[in-house]
Amino acid sequence: MFNIDCYAYSNKLRSCHPGEKFVFAFLTMAICLAFPSRTASLAVIVLMAGAAILGAGIPWRVYIKLMSVPLSFLLAGAAAIAVSVSRGGGPVYGITIGVFTLGVSPRDFSTAADVLFKSLGSVSCLYFLSLTTPVTEIISVLKKMRIPALFIELMSLVYRFIFVMMETASRIYVAQSSRWGYASFKTSYRSLSRLLSAVFLRSYYRSQMTYTALVSRCYTGELNVIEPRYAASVKNIMLIVLIEILLLALTLYGGGVPVGGIHS
Amino acid sequence: MAEFILEARDVFFDYPDGTSALKGVSLGIEKGKKVAVLGPNGAGKSTLFLHFNGVYRPKSGKVFFSGSEVRYNHSSMMALRKNVGIVFQDPDAQLFSASVYQEISFGPLNLGLNEEQVKERVNRAMAATGITELGEKPTHLLSYGEKKLVSIADILAMEPSVIICDEPAAWLDPGHTARVLELFDRINRNGTTVVMSTHDVDMAYSWSEYVYVMHGGKIAGEGTPQAVFQDDGLLKLAGLQKPLLVDLSEHMRRKGLLAENSGLPRSRSEFLQLLDSR
Repeated sequence: MFNIDCYAYSNKLRSCHPGEKFVFAFLTMAICLAFPSRTASLAVIVLMAGAAILGAGIPWRVYIKLMSVPLSFLLAGAAAIAVSVSRGGGPVYGITIGVFTLGVSPRDFSTAADVLFKSLGSVSCLYFLSLTTPVTEIISVLKKMRIPALFIELMSLVYRFIFVMMETASRIYVAQSSRWGYASFKTSYRSLSRLLSAVFLRSYYRSQMTYTALVSRCYTGELNVIEPRYAASVKNIMLIVLIEILLLALTLYGGGVPVGGIHS
Repeated sequence: MAEFILEARDVFFDYPDGTSALKGVSLGIEKGKKVAVLGPNGAGKSTLFLHFNGVYRPKSGKVFFSGSEVRYNHSSMMALRKNVGIVFQDPDAQLFSASVYQEISFGPLNLGLNEEQVKERVNRAMAATGITELGEKPTHLLSYGEKKLVSIADILAMEPSVIICDEPAAWLDPGHTARVLELFDRINRNGTTVVMSTHDVDMAYSWSEYVYVMHGGKIAGEGTPQAVFQDDGLLKLAGLQKPLLVDLSEHMRRKGLLAENSGLPRSRSEFLQLLDSR
């Protein structure tokens, strides 16, 4: 997670308008989700990998590593869809015990593959956004979209204090382990519980301090800050439109029909 | 009589848990001065500071800003906090935004300035603290010293007439400490009153023009740094050490190595000058 955050601040697309990256990621994800076409899902996976690795300059090893995180969950999920137990009949490949057959039918396998690719496609869209756009900029896009201020402020405070809390927690962890706090299973258990309560108490204390500091800077209930300005690039917008049209064409050509249409 | 920009008269304050933090504090901060407040942990320094911009309200006693009594309604509070800025000890508690630029823009925006004016102030504050190149960086990737400078820029951008800094040198490396002190001197030359609390007697002695010593929620002593740091009884009471320069000079006077009537040196170079002039 902290890796992602570092790339968000230092990738090659950092200076692009966050709105453009936002629209690109979500349009692509919408196409990926809306069409039950494996071609579309695969195209999105390839497109986003290209955008992240070639466009934003994320090292391909890092990208593969990141993609493999959801992949393990997705494979387990897809396996559950693919494998079924049936009682005779049906073209099932698998082992038969008595009257029951544990195995995979081509139809289930196809569904599982669809779900797997569709999920990977959507995940790669989100990865693209989070690898190229710092959270502060995503927040400012949300602000422009008129998301309620309460939500925006909470999001930005949570983001800021995740790092403060992580630092506090790691300091406590080091202090505990230097006194054999994690030497055995039993002490680890106890140390961890104390660490959690200490972090909670400190967060509470720090929130009071932060509030006091805000109040002494004339805080009256609104966290107003200056939003950075980015120049929108006509070239980028044209490029996004072109890519999305191509993707849409590929999807329709590949036999995809919007959800709610006729299922093959 | 000197003009006090901030004044506390017989201020008492109890925390909600019943601890009495201030037990009749009276002091005056002279306009345009560099003032150091010394005293052990728990002496009431931070609590006193929070009275100066109205975050805390005295149980009894009065606080004055620029000669007029502090009132606790909304508009007076806003006016007071615009003029009295506090830099908190822990930058991680003060900095609430993940973006350095947005963080600094918060204060001036609250003053009701327009966007152009705010940007100008943010840029000026970043230039003054030498952190212009950090504007694009996220807060959590800064070093402790950089965070400290950002927390000072936070307050500078509001252009207050008094800056109060709670232990600015705590946890700072010598390089950053020197930078912060140099910054305070520069701000002070432009007419801003600077108040700081510190445990570093050498720094307080060399830097400040006036010193207050707090102990147990009261003012234990005050005066010029030369006077305060030669008052052995006061130093002992507050658990303070003598600054090295004072200690050495006093010792050398006793040994006859320095003239009895020679002034106390405030810095290393003054000390060497004094030795050379013998």
